[in-house]
Amino acid sequence: MIVGIKDIFKMLGIIIISACAVFVCTLFLNYNIDLKNIEGLINTASMQVFYDAQIMTGKMVSTLSGGCLLLTSVVMLLFYIKHYIDTHRKELGILKAMGYSNLKIAGSFWVFGISILLGTSLGYICAYCIMPEFYSVQNEDKLLPEVIVHFQPVLLICLVVLPSLVFAFLSVVYSCIKLEIPVMELLRGKSIQKVRTAKSINDMPFLKELKKSTVRQRKSLVFFIAFATFCYAAMVQMSFSMKELASVMMAVMIFSIGIILAFVTLFLAITTVVKSNMKTLAMMQVFGYSRDECRKAVLSGYRKIAYIGFAIGTIYQYVLLKIAVYVIFRDIDSVPDYNFDIPAFIITLISFVILYELIMYWYSRKISKVSVKEIMLNTEL
Amino acid sequence: MIKINNIHKSYGEKNNQFEVLKGISLSIEEGDFVVLLGASGSGKSTLLNVVSGLEKPDSGEVFYNNENITVLSDKQLTEFRKKNIGFIFQQYYLLPNLNVEKNVKMGADLTNNKEYEKIIEAVGLKEKRLKYPHELSGGEQQRVCVARALAKKPAVLFLDEPTGALDEETGRLVLDYICSLQKKLNFTIIMVTHNANIADMAKTVIRMNSGRIVSTHQNQIQKSAYEIGW
Repeated sequence: MIVGIKDIFKMLGIIIISACAVFVCTLFLNYNIDLKNIEGLINTASMQVFYDAQIMTGKMVSTLSGGCLLLTSVVMLLFYIKHYIDTHRKELGILKAMGYSNLKIAGSFWVFGISILLGTSLGYICAYCIMPEFYSVQNEDKLLPEVIVHFQPVLLICLVVLPSLVFAFLSVVYSCIKLEIPVMELLRGKSIQKVRTAKSINDMPFLKELKKSTVRQRKSLVFFIAFATFCYAAMVQMSFSMKELASVMMAVMIFSIGIILAFVTLFLAITTVVKSNMKTLAMMQVFGYSRDECRKAVLSGYRKIAYIGFAIGTIYQYVLLKIAVYVIFRDIDSVPDYNFDIPAFIITLISFVILYELIMYWYSRKISKVSVKEIMLNTEL
Repeated sequence: MIKINNIHKSYGEKNNQFEVLKGISLSIEEGDFVVLLGASGSGKSTLLNVVSGLEKPDSGEVFYNNENITVLSDKQLTEFRKKNIGFIFQQYYLLPNLNVEKNVKMGADLTNNKEYEKIIEAVGLKEKRLKYPHELSGGEQQRVCVARALAKKPAVLFLDEPTGALDEETGRLVLDYICSLQKKLNFTIIMVTHNANIADMAKTVIRMNSGRIVSTHQNQIQKSAYEIGW
């Protein structure tokens, strides 16, 4: 088998993101299904309004969060497969030279589906562990008849089994497409870089040009960094701002998911950026560029993207909560109007700036430990 | 002038150490063309790394005009390389996402050399200055390396098997470029090679074996890249 079981553990990002997606979806969809069981017991208009709001919340949260995280998992999976092929070009080239077909080689990529199975199973189990507590919080107000936890096998199939199969299939198809590279090109080892069509300015300093090209080089990493800061901004602010819209438990849940998603994605993305630029960093050091110049050339190009992600996340959470108040809870009198939460924004922004810069500092320390000779001997550009 | 005093360098763990350089001492004059000749494992590349300040020796000193670079900190060594040293490697190590011009600017910007385009022209790549490394042949890539190294106007140019990955015709062409540019700019060349024929181009030939210098001689006549055997 070309892709081993050990390779799936490198896909920690996908495991965590899919776990979060399934956790949220299982919790809300299971609650929605159980809520349907008490529909017959609703006999007043106010109960009906609250019931509809709860159903709508469940649908919205699972569609938006689940959909957003599902999309990210797909992008991350495709990124991993491309990265895997890029870093194993010689081995794959040898197999193709020996006569293995693309499909035969791609067949072993199905194991990447196991990472989704691990993630979705983890999310599913965690959701059922927390479900009694979640239901009791939901039942606290006694606005509806008591909703009792029932195990819903359909969710196991739709949220755990099916996604794993679909992702395994997607892995095989995508890797098969990506393996459509001539054998000699694979055997040469280096991935052919596409010619940048963007006009480069002639007298632009080298460091500035390198900074730009590092960002342009891997667009998927731009997405992940923006996604990480988006998650942080959206979920941390949302957890602060929704005090009057949801329970403390819900706020803690959103906060935790936001932090986990943001940091896992950011660490994975920046680690990939640093690793894929090791040779460039080594060469710069050989030529006499200072460590600070090396760090700036490789990492500082992403700062703008990180702040854009943060801005989008801020707008997203504001719009989402506005929709929640004006659409879902519009008929419920006890729900107050929602305005942009400035203190929450400031706290989130300050904490974001500090944490982001600390992470960058940590990576710059890593870069400064790059051993020129080791890199020259071990890796290829 | 470069003066190397009793350099020792070992690799490996305490109980399993392998001494690569066993007390190397030599002097290199300014503007010299030195070839370090030796079989694989003779220590020539390690010596090149130590002399160029890429690696620190276990003991011994390397002086550049009375400045001992073995006592410099990493930061000071980086600054030293920035001001004095150029490198050309066998594997090119070009930056794949930058075109020829930008790769050459990597060297030129360090010394604020605005005339790097002349060097691109001098190595015969004016027409290909907007091409990316993967669009060039091996010989052309090595010429970009030559231009990149020379664009920073180094006092000493280090070359580690610069023709190792090239065919004869391209190898001769690259060596010819380097020699003609040395004559023009008068920098010092220290080249590592296992190809004894290339030694005929040098002024000083140093033969190494098992971490020691076994002979040093001066060529009376320096042959051109097209006069040597291959």
